[in-house]
Amino acid sequence: MRPFVRFDIYRKDMEELSLIRLAQEGDTLAFRSLFEENKQHVFGIAFRYLKNAEDAEDVLQDTFIKAYHALDKYSPEKGVNFGCWLGRICVNASIDALRRNKVREAHSLDTEEVVDVRANSPRSNPEKTALDIEIRGKIDKALNSLSPKQRMIFILRHYQEYNTREIAEYMNSTEGSVKKHLFRAVDTIKKRLRHLIMESDYGL
Amino acid sequence: MDCKKATNLITLDLYGELNERERAVLDRHVRECRACAAELEYTKKVFKLLDELKPVLAAEPNWERSWQKIHSGISETPAKNKAQLFPRWRWVYASSAIAAVLILGIVIGKYWFTPSQKPVPMASPTTTSPASLQPALSSHLEDIKPMLLEYAHYTAGDQGAKKIVIDEKTVRGLLIQNLLLKRILAEKDPAAAELLDDLDLVLKEIANQPSQDQQAPSQIKDLINQRGILFKMEVLKTL
Repeated sequence: MRPFVRFDIYRKDMEELSLIRLAQEGDTLAFRSLFEENKQHVFGIAFRYLKNAEDAEDVLQDTFIKAYHALDKYSPEKGVNFGCWLGRICVNASIDALRRNKVREAHSLDTEEVVDVRANSPRSNPEKTALDIEIRGKIDKALNSLSPKQRMIFILRHYQEYNTREIAEYMNSTEGSVKKHLFRAVDTIKKRLRHLIMESDYGL
Repeated sequence: MDCKKATNLITLDLYGELNERERAVLDRHVRECRACAAELEYTKKVFKLLDELKPVLAAEPNWERSWQKIHSGISETPAKNKAQLFPRWRWVYASSAIAAVLILGIVIGKYWFTPSQKPVPMASPTTTSPASLQPALSSHLEDIKPMLLEYAHYTAGDQGAKKIVIDEKTVRGLLIQNLLLKRILAEKDPAAAELLDDLDLVLKEIANQPSQDQQAPSQIKDLINQRGILFKMEVLKTL
């Protein structure tokens, strides 16, 4: 057996840490590797939150530039993994971007990057399509009416599928507070959709 | 349990966040309360709808364009980053620590090394790697050597010369390996640490060389020769 096998056991765990150390010393190649590892995760949060690919790309870039300049503040010894640390930066950048783009947000239904999943749905027929558009409009309006924090918590829980403990870490908050915001967010969405769903023959 | 609390628990239950006990309490309440049973069914419908109509991206983002923007963003202020790595206040702590060590050294030296005492034989400085790390170091040098030899034998301007093909992932792996060893051996084996420093420089040059640059292999070859890297590797291997 080659002696280096001993190192290989730890290599996977240490690779990220080593890349971070290299990046902290100014190695952009190492930082590129960290970008490649985390880009989907960061973009996913921004896109689901902003519902616009262009804005999400801006947030992705903003997140990694901020992360690079703050790398010396990142310390794995504190128990926060790098993906979560990046997620926090992304969450704040997304909330800031939404505040900046509030006007565009009002027209989120015109978003071209969003694919209509109804085309693949077994229930796709013209009447359903019209209903789906109406429901999506209601969902968008409900999401727009949430506070930035409530909206982010709902996106992270419902679409990104993080549990409330993880979200508390992302948002630098407590689990109890996250649950409270989540209840309110879900409540608001339910209220907005109630009339439409009850009146329609949405065969669920 | 009141219905308001049950409504909140329904949400948590659908997200799979309830423990067994909480779920049992909720189940009992829903069985007994028609309004909450209806609320549960309605919440399930809403969740299903949200999943069906969730925003899906039409096309992958342009990752390369994003990286280029990030790269220019992080290249603009490299000095700031370097400065932050060792902020000013840390110098105060560092210089205080050095001063404290010096004072302590003088005090200990004064009382410890009195003329009446026989000179204590000094332990030979540890200039070689600890035995446990020697195989790891040799293995690392073996991993790196074929690539260095390719560059060392490269002849510029030779039409028949084979193009050096480098796998970026392999170079990254070697860089990480090199960094780990360098950190471990920094104090224990200065000779090895010096070689690993040189290797770090060469590996970074290899990793960052533009693929179209005809001059790059020659520059790397010169660097290997100037630093006497292959010679140092042979010497370390025999120790």
